This record gives sequence, structure tokens and C-alpha cells, in this order.
Amino acid sequence: MIKLLQIEFKKIRTYKVFWILTGLYFVFLSAGILLAEFMVNHMVDNINRRMPIPFPHVAIYYFPDVWQNVAFFASMRYVLIFPAIIMIILITNEFTYKTIRQNVINGMSKTEFLASKLLIIILMAIIMIVILTTGTFFIGLSHSGFTEVDFFSKGIPFMGGLFISLLCYMVYSFFCGFILRNTGLAIAIFTLYSLIIEPVIYYFLKAPFMFKNTISTYLPVNAVIRLTEYPAIPVLKKVMGLNLQDHVSLTTCLLPTAYAGIMIIVVFLIMKRKDL
Amino acid sequence: MAEPILNVENLSKSFGKIKAVNQLSFEVAKGQVFGILGPNGSGKTTTLSMLLDLIQPDSGNFMWFGMPPSKGSRKRIGSVIESPNFFPYLDAVTNLQIVADIKDKTYNDIPDVLQAAGLYERRLSKFRTFSFGMRQRLAVASAMLGNPEVLILDEPTNGLDPQGIAQIRDIIAMVAARGTTILLASHLLDEVQKICNYVVVLRKGVMLFSGNVKEVLAVSDSIELAASDKDGLIIAIRDYPGFSSFTEIDGIIQVHFSKPADTAGINSFLAQKGIILSHLADKKRSLEQHFLELLQDSK
Repeated sequence: MIKLLQIEFKKIRTYKVFWILTGLYFVFLSAGILLAEFMVNHMVDNINRRMPIPFPHVAIYYFPDVWQNVAFFASMRYVLIFPAIIMIILITNEFTYKTIRQNVINGMSKTEFLASKLLIIILMAIIMIVILTTGTFFIGLSHSGFTEVDFFSKGIPFMGGLFISLLCYMVYSFFCGFILRNTGLAIAIFTLYSLIIEPVIYYFLKAPFMFKNTISTYLPVNAVIRLTEYPAIPVLKKVMGLNLQDHVSLTTCLLPTAYAGIMIIVVFLIMKRKDL
Repeated sequence: MAEPILNVENLSKSFGKIKAVNQLSFEVAKGQVFGILGPNGSGKTTTLSMLLDLIQPDSGNFMWFGMPPSKGSRKRIGSVIESPNFFPYLDAVTNLQIVADIKDKTYNDIPDVLQAAGLYERRLSKFRTFSFGMRQRLAVASAMLGNPEVLILDEPTNGLDPQGIAQIRDIIAMVAARGTTILLASHLLDEVQKICNYVVVLRKGVMLFSGNVKEVLAVSDSIELAASDKDGLIIAIRDYPGFSSFTEIDGIIQVHFSKPADTAGINSFLAQKGIILSHLADKKRSLEQHFLELLQDSK
């Protein structure tokens, strides 16, 4: 297992595209998280100009809410798409450059090949979570100070949920890349589906003029995002009466995990039967 | 027969209606330089792909080193199939390290194989900067990593310039000299003739012929003779040792022998019998002619 990861690491160590995209992801992620409060309050100010009773400013970086807010932002479609695209590139490259053939010729089993890719997904998800957890902890600390007693009550469930989101969504993209084998095509179709097609389907399934149902929540990408469905902004709850979540329920984790599990099984079955 | 490296039994594979490989059986012994010869589309690459577990055969089986094929057996084989497959954005050394990792070999061989392939100076250049010939040579270098027991080469000189072809052939000769078993697929007769000592000829997935390259050449020896006393010549030549048959074309007698015949010997033999030749030519048929005839015969 360690050896498979070593091989994978050799494949990406000097691969500029991988590091540029990973860098962009973290820059985008940190910028988004750090500017979120300013942007939300800017919106609040705009609204307040027309309001007799002004809304109070929001504060999103305090313990324990900061965990949920970071998890919410990091599991948005537009943010998750980065690691997904990276995974698509890593798998489709193997087909484009026929290195998957060469790996098998050289004595790697097909199962080992797939296992090495799944290991890299797991490792990437772990590294992202470690970085995000560390970053979130320091953001929380700098805003709450050491007087806060409730550091972690939301930390473990929301970071755990984000881990599942990252893992499952990267498996989705891996599946898409494996089936389509072509980098451009896979990125286009995956992005189009995630960002446009599924939200449209979701809207029509959910729209009250169609019919009342919960089918919309079963859509695969929605299942991933739904783990952290709302940010933790207490004022919203008071003013708008939104029923905000305060934890990630294990049952919502089951659906994306099941989707990812089925995709992995399908990939293994195809790999076993299909000629390279 | 030396210890068998590869046994192939009734291997078949169809792609839709096309039978790419049909009931193919052959055996490769240790130390042989074994050629698989056939025109494009005759099933050479399909055969090699099956032997390397890239393609599942429809029927038939094969054994490597007397055992059913596994990833372990593939680690003992160095292969170049079709094009050189490397990551373009990695340098030569990193690409070879990945190969060594997969094969459970150390990195110690990497400088040596790069030297042998004449790529040592470019070892830290990215693969995408390599010329066509360099790519092919890197593929051969990677196949040589860890001193494999068998080297499989699929059209290793395809598309190379004469200098590139010579470089690849030198490397193959060097590896063969070490006693490594080599399996070479090619559509170039000349290549098989120069490199291999045993050959299987394929056409449309069917084996037409298999045998020792030297035997193939010996069988096809013929000599052209002409003399004013044509009938006397025909009678006299029948007594020559190794005579098998003759044909007459435009007054020239083409004589076939079952073993190599030398022109000087024939000349003095006929002179003793009082036949003065007006024409004597060694028409050793090349493997190429023989190959083309084999293909013709089977139509």
C-alpha cells in the first residue's frame, strides 16, 4: 500500500498542473473563507439602507460556529469542483498517455492500479481536512480568544462531514474520468452536470408547482452538498426563521457514501472485464 | 529442447466479426530470439497484448515460465508494446523509477540502461522534449530495467531513421548476447532475418509457418543454370548431391536443392561431366520472397 502511494507520488511530484490547481484551490478557499464575513456584512449594509430597523452585522468566525461555516463554504459546488477536476486529470492522464497499459505490462495488477488511485483520493481528502482544520482552528482562535470554552463541539462533526463530502465527490469525478477516459470531455461533462444540469433538475423536482417530494435530495451531487446545508449565522435563524442545522447527521452521510461505493464497484467490474 | 519460457496453446481472440488471432500455438525456449512476423493487422500486437494480460483471450491459454500468467510473471518480462508510454511531464529518470517501483527492482540499473540507450546525458529532461527515436530508445531502456529474463519488443524500429534503427538493433544484439530470451514482433522481414533465430509467420491471425530462420533460408536455395546442351545439363544436375527439383523458364534451368549448394562446386561438377555453363547464378531466395510466397500460398 505504501509502495502504491510512493508510485502515485512520483507521478505527481513534478507535475506542474497538479500543483498549480492545488495551489489555486487553497488560495480560492482561503480567500473565500477570509472575505466571507466582509462580503456578507457588505450585503447587510446594502439591505439596511432600505430598512427601518437595521439588521445587525454577522460574525461567522467564532467558535464553535466557525467549523460549520468553513465546512459550508468548502462543500459548495463551486469550491468542490477544484479537487474533482484534479482527480479527473490524474485518472484521464493515465489513459491519454497509455501509462495504465504500461503499468499493467510492467507487472501492476488492475486491482492495484485502481487501489492506488483510490488511495490518492483518500490521502488528498485527509491532507485537505488537516489543512482546513488547522486553518479553521486559528481563525476561530484569533476571533474568539482563549476565553472561549466550546472549541470543538462542532469541529468534529462538521470536519468529519466535509471529509465525507470531499471523498465522495472526488470518487464521483474519478468515476466520470474513468468512464469517459478523455480529460477535456470528462471535465466538461462533470462540471456541466455538477454546476448546471443537476441544479436545474433539482429546481424542477422541488418546485411546488410540480409535485411535493423528496426525490430532489437524492441527486448525487446534492447528496454531497447537503451534509453541510446551511452556514451557522444565528441572526438568520432569528430574522428569517430558518431551521439551521447544528450537526451533520450520520444518515445524510450514507447516501453519498452509497453512491461512491457503487461507483467504485462498477469501476472495478469494468476494469476486470474490459481490455486496456 | 531448452527449458520453455512461454507456451501458447490455441490462443484465439475476435473483435466483432474479425478473428484477430485464430488458434495460435507456439513455444519459446530459453535464450531464443523469437520473431513473430506478419503484415500489419496480422494479429501480432493482439497476441502480445494477450500474453501481457492487456487483452482477455476468447479461448486458449498460455503459460509463462511454466506457470499460469500473473503480475509476478510480468515483473520478470520487459516489454515495449506499440508506442513508448511515459508521462510527458516527468523526466526520464522519474519515468524509469516508476517502472522500477512496479517491477520491485532497485534504481541501481537506471544509469546503466540509460547509458545503453544513449540517453544518459538527457536523463533529467522531460519525456515530452524527446525526439521520436529517443522515446523509442527510452522504451527499450525501460524494458531492460532489472535485467529481465524475457524481452518483448513490438515493432521496436517502426518509424525510426536508419541511425535509430541501427541503435535499437545494437541494443537488442547486446541483450541477446547476455542470453536473454527475446520475443520480437515485426512486419519487416529483413529485421527478423537479421535478429531472430526462430520465426512464426502470421497472416490474418493464423499461423502460416513456424521454424528456424536458417532452415527457412536453406529450404529456399535455388541456382539458375544455362548451357547450350540443355538436356545434358538436366541429366547431369540430377546427380548433384542435394538436388530436389528444377523448373525451366526461358531456357534457364532453375534448380532447387534441399541443402545449401555452392556455385563453385556445381560449376566444377558439371565441367567434369562435360557440360559447359553459359549462365550460373546463385538465386538464394531471401526470407522476404519466401514470406511473400507463404502469404500467396495461403490465399
